[in-house]
Amino acid sequence: MRQFFSIVDNLSEVAVGSSKPLASLLVEILPPLPAFLEEYEQLLAMITACGIFVAVVPLIPLVLVLAERKVSAFIQDRTGPMRVGPWGILQTLADGVKLLFKEDLIPPYGDRVLFRIAPYIIVCFSLAAFVAIPFGAIDLGDEQYIFIVSNLNIGIFYILAVSSVIVIGIIMAGWASNSKWSLLGSLRSAAQMVSYEIPVGLSILSVIMLVQTLNMQGIVDQQGSGLHSWLIFRTPFSFVAFFVFFISAIAEVNRTPFDLPEAESELVAGFHTEYSGMRFALFFIAEYANMFAVCAIAATLFLGGWQGVLPGIDILGGLPGFVFKTLFLVFVMMWIRWTLPRLRVDQLMNLCWKYLIPVSFFNILGVGIWMLVLGADTMDMKSLGPSLVIIVLAVFILLRQVFKGVSGTKQETIPAPSI
Amino acid sequence: MVGYISNIYVGVYTVLVGMVITFRQMLKPRVTHQYPYQYEFERKDNYREIPIGYRGQLHNRVEDCIVCNKCVQICPVDCIYIDSRKPSGGRGAKLWESMNVVHLKDRKQIIGIVEGNTKKIEPDTEITISQTVPAGKTRKVSSNDVDRIVERKKVTFYMDRFDIDMALCMYCGLCTEVCPTECLTMVDTLQGIEYSEFDRASLNYSFVKPELYK
Amino acid sequence: MAAEGSKFIEVQPFSDEMVLSMGPQHPSTHGVLKLELRLDGEIVREAIPHIGYLHRCFEKHAENLSYPQIIPFTDRMDYIAAMNQNWGFCLAVEKMMAADEKFSGVPERAEYLRVLVGELNRIASHLLSFGTYGMDIGAFTPFLYAFRDREEILLLFEEICGARLTYNYIRIGGVSRDMPPDWLGHVKNFIDYFEPKVDEYNALLTENKIFIERTVKVAVLDEDMAINYGITGPNLRGAGKKWDLRKDEPYSIYDRFDFDVPIGHDIPRIGAVLGDCWNRYKVRMDEMKESVKIIRQILNQEIPEGPIIAQYKAVRPPAGEIFDRSEAPRGELGFYIVSDGSVKPVRLKAKSPCFTALSALQELSKGLMVADIIAIIGSIDIVMGEIDR
Repeated sequence: MRQFFSIVDNLSEVAVGSSKPLASLLVEILPPLPAFLEEYEQLLAMITACGIFVAVVPLIPLVLVLAERKVSAFIQDRTGPMRVGPWGILQTLADGVKLLFKEDLIPPYGDRVLFRIAPYIIVCFSLAAFVAIPFGAIDLGDEQYIFIVSNLNIGIFYILAVSSVIVIGIIMAGWASNSKWSLLGSLRSAAQMVSYEIPVGLSILSVIMLVQTLNMQGIVDQQGSGLHSWLIFRTPFSFVAFFVFFISAIAEVNRTPFDLPEAESELVAGFHTEYSGMRFALFFIAEYANMFAVCAIAATLFLGGWQGVLPGIDILGGLPGFVFKTLFLVFVMMWIRWTLPRLRVDQLMNLCWKYLIPVSFFNILGVGIWMLVLGADTMDMKSLGPSLVIIVLAVFILLRQVFKGVSGTKQETIPAPSI
Repeated sequence: MVGYISNIYVGVYTVLVGMVITFRQMLKPRVTHQYPYQYEFERKDNYREIPIGYRGQLHNRVEDCIVCNKCVQICPVDCIYIDSRKPSGGRGAKLWESMNVVHLKDRKQIIGIVEGNTKKIEPDTEITISQTVPAGKTRKVSSNDVDRIVERKKVTFYMDRFDIDMALCMYCGLCTEVCPTECLTMVDTLQGIEYSEFDRASLNYSFVKPELYK
Repeated sequence: MAAEGSKFIEVQPFSDEMVLSMGPQHPSTHGVLKLELRLDGEIVREAIPHIGYLHRCFEKHAENLSYPQIIPFTDRMDYIAAMNQNWGFCLAVEKMMAADEKFSGVPERAEYLRVLVGELNRIASHLLSFGTYGMDIGAFTPFLYAFRDREEILLLFEEICGARLTYNYIRIGGVSRDMPPDWLGHVKNFIDYFEPKVDEYNALLTENKIFIERTVKVAVLDEDMAINYGITGPNLRGAGKKWDLRKDEPYSIYDRFDFDVPIGHDIPRIGAVLGDCWNRYKVRMDEMKESVKIIRQILNQEIPEGPIIAQYKAVRPPAGEIFDRSEAPRGELGFYIVSDGSVKPVRLKAKSPCFTALSALQELSKGLMVADIIAIIGSIDIVMGEIDR
């Protein structure tokens, strides 16, 4: 027992510098416990911190489902859900209630045990990635408390590992449905997710080289000197690494243009065709939670996490700033979904193995050389200067081409009323 | 090598072009019309949601029907059923005459009795239409506004049954075109499209009015 | 005992072949089409179309109807381009009636109105094919944009003939109703609004690298193969042959208008070859612009006043037979009518362009992937109502 508590003590106090995780914050601000519970203090704080996350984090997909419907509607000149609640805000609640009341069908000749377990695996491991993401920070006295459940020393590595288990759940779901279409969808999805984990890992690697630590809080700390210290701007190669990571993240989450596993016009709904009711809802929760998680990781690694634009917790800082950055990336994911067509399976694999992976290797090489020659990890102008100049130039050339391509198409939407 | 890099470049900028187009669309107003909460303005501003001449459901002014059976013959799906019998009093005994339908140039219609010659319309005269349907008033219009006038015809049959099976009707409008007195029309307001029923048998509309023959 | 000739023969598929039924209910087969796919993993060995789920006995039914009564039924054949179906039928009947001295010929005003509504319907039909093709490929937004523009066209049709989809407007000898007073102004508003939209849709979908990757070099239908199968319309023009009935055998008043016939090209910049899915799709986008050109020419001219329908006593074509064809948005629509001098035809056969296009699917789809089958069906633009009649 003592050893168990000492492990818990260690877990809740591991920190870089003077930052302490959420459990310690709870220990500080909540009233002291009665005497007989004294030795369980850390454990109870830990359980409460986990409880807060379990309560709050699954609510994120509820908001995101509605946001997706509204964003897609606005892009397509429609209004989206408008009836349930003012401007359709309560639509997701109504959908959830409806799904609860649906009949629970299990395909008769499928594998019943696997059919039941599959959604739970997917949901649990999607939500498990949230454990190591720092959401924000507050300063109490001279100690800084981070909103993170467990400040693991191997933070980012743990998150990658946990996201890989989702593939198993998808294969189970496709196999247990006893339908050729579902099987096709799930095998495509497994191939896709396993392949795209490589560019994800490699682009994260090229950024980790700059901060020399896998600890998520440590990564955020190193971006604390303001906008120019965000890892995306340190070298032009990490700028490219951000986009490689983003594209691979979209493929990890099975969104268009990589949504062959759930391609609506080809496979009806892919691996979750045979699911109905709450099990189907669990797949959706898992997808949107996963989407939020990868955007949160992108925001933490590249966009400064909960650090603000100026040193300290300022504009775009703290918990609101972090949520804003993540939601902006989620919006970009939705925007891409409703604009682009779908890639075919072999083109998807082509993109991963022939384009993204060589570019990721090139990024790692580039970051390494930049660090060696210009000292990118020290953040002085010798390295930041050229990097910012190259990034701005490349973005300018690209945007000029884009606006040339769009130029002939500026037009009014609504013609004069016809009657 | 050059092809490889240009592939990446073209890929990236066409994706961005598409994204700019859809983003611009987000900033423009929506075209959704939230029926039925937004059709109230048809009654307010004189704004018509449905154009004049729309082929809605069929409606028959049975008082004017002369039972010529042309609509029954022309209907491609045989959805009109008419039974009739002659009144006592010999052949061609007239019960009454159907109304005139005055078609105006602004595509409105006035149904009533027009005095005087209806075959030829003299310009710059005034035409009096009495006993207009439905209100029974008298209206005067200038003959410059009149497009054409449908003549009165003799009604010589009692009608026992005039049923139209709306579930069979294919809304082609052929029956309205051949009707000589224009008593069979297609309703071109919202009432012409809002007539759903729960039971298909109740879509068999019966237009005959027995009280006409008392 | 069963007779010798009635042995039940069972064909065993190959042991590593999966038979997948892309069944009648499927989100992206356009209508009720059943495709029996014999797959080897993802590669299609054979794709066998099974049709007939939408068969409504149109041709047999027409033997019991008089000619004016058949016109509403032609609407329901290719319900997306119904005006052109009406027109094709009326052309055939009018050609037969030309021998009848009481038939006075189609008046000028009716011809202009026919060309106007025919070209507007061509735009509407190509818009729908563009939207649904985008949706099949995975881009959901062009579908909504296409339908938004199609709504405007349907509103124009609603004003002129009273219906949105099954018009029953083009009659034997003319058209049924004259246009409302301000209709031409509405058409002009629509055309001015719509012309830049084609460029926008090109930037959104046609030039998109992912769309290009999905559709270039897929299912190349070259000119010889197309002619052997009897394929016409944009499918043939995408293969490079410049054949359009409106230019080569002009009917109605098409010889008075100046417009191009777009064909497919080899474009090395994006890798498109002659006759692939991209070229067929691009021909449709270009045809929308040509239709806009024709409509503008009509709007600039004065449509002559006059009657809108010919004078005749009854539609009783003299005894004989005729086959006449017209350029529907999906190809050459032909009607073969046998008449014996009465008000009802003895035999009516409709030659549907989509039927011939679908028959090429089996040969086009050998060796492609399942995702490509969807791309092919969208690019040959079929409507099951016309195939099954």
